[in-house]
Amino acid sequence: MSQPGLPANLSARPPPHLYFHPPRDSTDPPRRESSETERVIQPSNAAKASLSAAEPSTRGRTRRKERRRRGARTQWKKLLWVRQSLPDNYTDASTFLDHLVRNPKLQPYEFWRLVADSTVIVQHVCSVAIFVCCFTGIFQERISPITVVSWGSACTVIGWITWEVWVDNHEEMNNRRLGSQASSEDDLPSGDSFTKETSSASGTQTPHAEVMGDFHDDFHPPPEQWQGDPLSNLSPRNQQRLITIKSAALIYCAVLGLSPILKSLTKSTTSDSIWAISCWLMFINVFFFDYGGGVGAKFPASLSTNASLMASTVLASRLTSTTHVFSLTLFSIQVFGLFPVFRRHLLHISRTLHYILTFCLVLGAGGGVAVTVGGGSWTFLLLGCTLGLITAALTMGGASWWLIGLQKWKDEIVGPWDAARPRLRRRWA
Amino acid sequence: MPYTIAMVSDFFYPQPGGVESHIYQLSTKLIDRGHKVIIITHAYQGRTGIRYLTNGLKVYHVPFFVIYLQTTFPTVFSFFPMFRNIIIREQVEIVHGHASLSNFCHEAILHARTMGLRTVFTDHSLFGFADAASILTNKLLKFALSDVDHVICVSHTCKENTVLRASLDPLMVSVIPNAVVAENFRPLAKDEPIATPRQPSSGALSPQRPLPLETVTIVVISRLFYNKGIDLLIAAIPRLCAAYPYARFIIAGSGPKAIDLEQMIERNVLQDRVEMLGAIRHEEVRDVMVRGHIYLHPSLTEAFGTVIVEAASCGLYVVCTRVGGIPEVLPLHMTRFAKPEEDDIVAQAGSAIAAMRAGRIRTERFHEQVRMMYSWTDVAERTERVYDGIAGVLSEEEFYGCVEGEEVAGEVGGSSSVVRGRSGVANFALIDRLKRYYGCGVWAGKLFCICVVVDYLLYVVLEFIFPRANIDVVRDWPRKKAIDETDETEKLGEEKTWIT
Repeated sequence: MSQPGLPANLSARPPPHLYFHPPRDSTDPPRRESSETERVIQPSNAAKASLSAAEPSTRGRTRRKERRRRGARTQWKKLLWVRQSLPDNYTDASTFLDHLVRNPKLQPYEFWRLVADSTVIVQHVCSVAIFVCCFTGIFQERISPITVVSWGSACTVIGWITWEVWVDNHEEMNNRRLGSQASSEDDLPSGDSFTKETSSASGTQTPHAEVMGDFHDDFHPPPEQWQGDPLSNLSPRNQQRLITIKSAALIYCAVLGLSPILKSLTKSTTSDSIWAISCWLMFINVFFFDYGGGVGAKFPASLSTNASLMASTVLASRLTSTTHVFSLTLFSIQVFGLFPVFRRHLLHISRTLHYILTFCLVLGAGGGVAVTVGGGSWTFLLLGCTLGLITAALTMGGASWWLIGLQKWKDEIVGPWDAARPRLRRRWA
Repeated sequence: MPYTIAMVSDFFYPQPGGVESHIYQLSTKLIDRGHKVIIITHAYQGRTGIRYLTNGLKVYHVPFFVIYLQTTFPTVFSFFPMFRNIIIREQVEIVHGHASLSNFCHEAILHARTMGLRTVFTDHSLFGFADAASILTNKLLKFALSDVDHVICVSHTCKENTVLRASLDPLMVSVIPNAVVAENFRPLAKDEPIATPRQPSSGALSPQRPLPLETVTIVVISRLFYNKGIDLLIAAIPRLCAAYPYARFIIAGSGPKAIDLEQMIERNVLQDRVEMLGAIRHEEVRDVMVRGHIYLHPSLTEAFGTVIVEAASCGLYVVCTRVGGIPEVLPLHMTRFAKPEEDDIVAQAGSAIAAMRAGRIRTERFHEQVRMMYSWTDVAERTERVYDGIAGVLSEEEFYGCVEGEEVAGEVGGSSSVVRGRSGVANFALIDRLKRYYGCGVWAGKLFCICVVVDYLLYVVLEFIFPRANIDVVRDWPRKKAIDETDETEKLGEEKTWIT
């Protein structure tokens, strides 16, 4: 762009092509309405209302007047390098705050969607409640710890089998698709990502991965190239299953061996402190849980998981025998380590099943709390279930309604003064 | 009409920076125009008490507790006794605060209004509205600016931002840009040897003018922080180096992103094409700039961007991002704008490099043009007009443009009298001040009112304990005559001959 230098006298009007006209992309939101300006400037201080009071009702008049008063003098430009004949505090009513955008990313919430999405939180809160109830039962010696951990393990095994079935189904579908498309180039990445996803999911599903880190994900080559151990005659999937079972056994033995230590770890601390600490840790668990995490998330919300396991560790010291401690610790690993992974998968597979699970958990939590508080009669159980359902429904509905109501206070102001967000290309490093 | 002005800010020399040099240059030029100016700042390490700078500019370094980044602890009232003493001692008429992150300046504006002085505030930066820090800062700014007489912003974007943040009447906000001392940013003279303070060996690569060029050198001088867009720079340099084998880079400045830059250089083996100078002093900026042809400024936010004016003054073509107040600063034939995106920066910088090499960009007259656009004398003149306006020397019609009282009396007649009073200047009656503060918010308004009332009571107590009569009045610095016209033209003539 070669240009002869400007005339030295810059107060002269520069050629029109030198004016800065900000480009207006088609994606730009429409120009704001004058009524909106008024709302934005909104000087709560009535004293400072002279501009907003001047518009919109008198805006036209003011501008006309200004034009009249300034007559044929040069027009104001939003430039600093031009010496303008207008005073420094001149405000051009037609362009002032022109680039201001309000609530650019506002997405109005829908009630039923919000309620549906809140089930994820309800599920987690309920599972925490069930765990606390189980602990109380064990502590008060009303249920045997063996029963609790047996039921928990049975559910875990069922969950694992279900999960295996899902993975098999998906792999079959995947293979069929790959076969039908003759592994066309553009399909490969998606297939890759899917298998990666499932393999990482398999990592998190195993207790091994939960505790030791799912390093076999990183260390083994992707499943396409993985031909399995050449010495073994098992298929790759069966080999993985074997690894899962092995690590589960390892965890089992480790917890069994460690339970005497866990039992005496915080024995010297008073019970009051233990209740307070475990309460805080459970709150941390609930508030820092990764509710939005997808299926492929590795180590989601490690703070949350660690807080809950620590809570079960400090609670374990209040129990009477090593068997109790072992049961509680194993149960907490199942509830806080594996169950969230299963729930995340379930939501991914089917929403209906997810709602059914939510319903069951609410019933379980309500009943459990009622039985723990009131005693083990059927009346209390039924009452607790009903109350639990009503409370959950009211909370979910009320919270969603409240959030929608709060939306009208949202007033996000975006303009050229905001720090730009740099857009970088993705690096394929 | 000469005024006695106190510039108040947390930020002043010995700390280097844009606000600091703004205060210094403006004060010097105001003194040249016959005003008396003092500067009030907090004590810096090894710099306490009262200091005199060139031209009789007096600086008060007030002992104060500094918490973070040279900002003092907001105590609201503890500064009042000493402030009052200085104000009476120096017989100050106008208090001019600088920088919205300076707590000192906000306190001074509050106390000055309590004492019945005129106040001006200059905003040098842009703030968003989203994060918690901004919300708090904006609320405090609203408090401080509820009762200010006039506000000065450095760009039109900055004005819009400040008007929104502090709920101000746009007519009481003036836009007066920063300036540069053009004499300090001259382009390379024909026979001047290229100054390379760090690496004398690279003197062989002196820019060959007339064009076409063998190599095109791109200069970046910036603190290496995230908000200066260094990530964009890191992404763009390897691509530019690959596409334009004759391009070289010189990067000056230091900061947390320096390591990333060095990693980028090592990963792409660009050691012989990208030169990193580290931190440089402000005096050296010109010597670095004249070694290049293009100045690249990838900043993500900028209220004014003095450095691009300095670069243009040194005869560099400027490639910069279109953010904040930058699009207002330079004419289009000196700049090329890019979106804050890697691809666009590469495209714009690339086409600038190609055009520069082909000799299609003539930069010879940039210096003269920038000198005509920005000068501190001009800034001082325009600031003086603001002082005239708030002191009532200019009539309301003259200063604020239109008189609401006449035509739209029915709607805003009442409110305008609260803002500026009948004579066009804000009145000091406590009840009127309280009205202005009360509107700041449901809770904040009441809190602010309590603060103002306490401040007023403090003032009354101070008047009682330390009576005005017991405070000595300082003698003025024996002042030179203001520079007269002949002097100025002589100087200009001299420079012109020097350049040609």
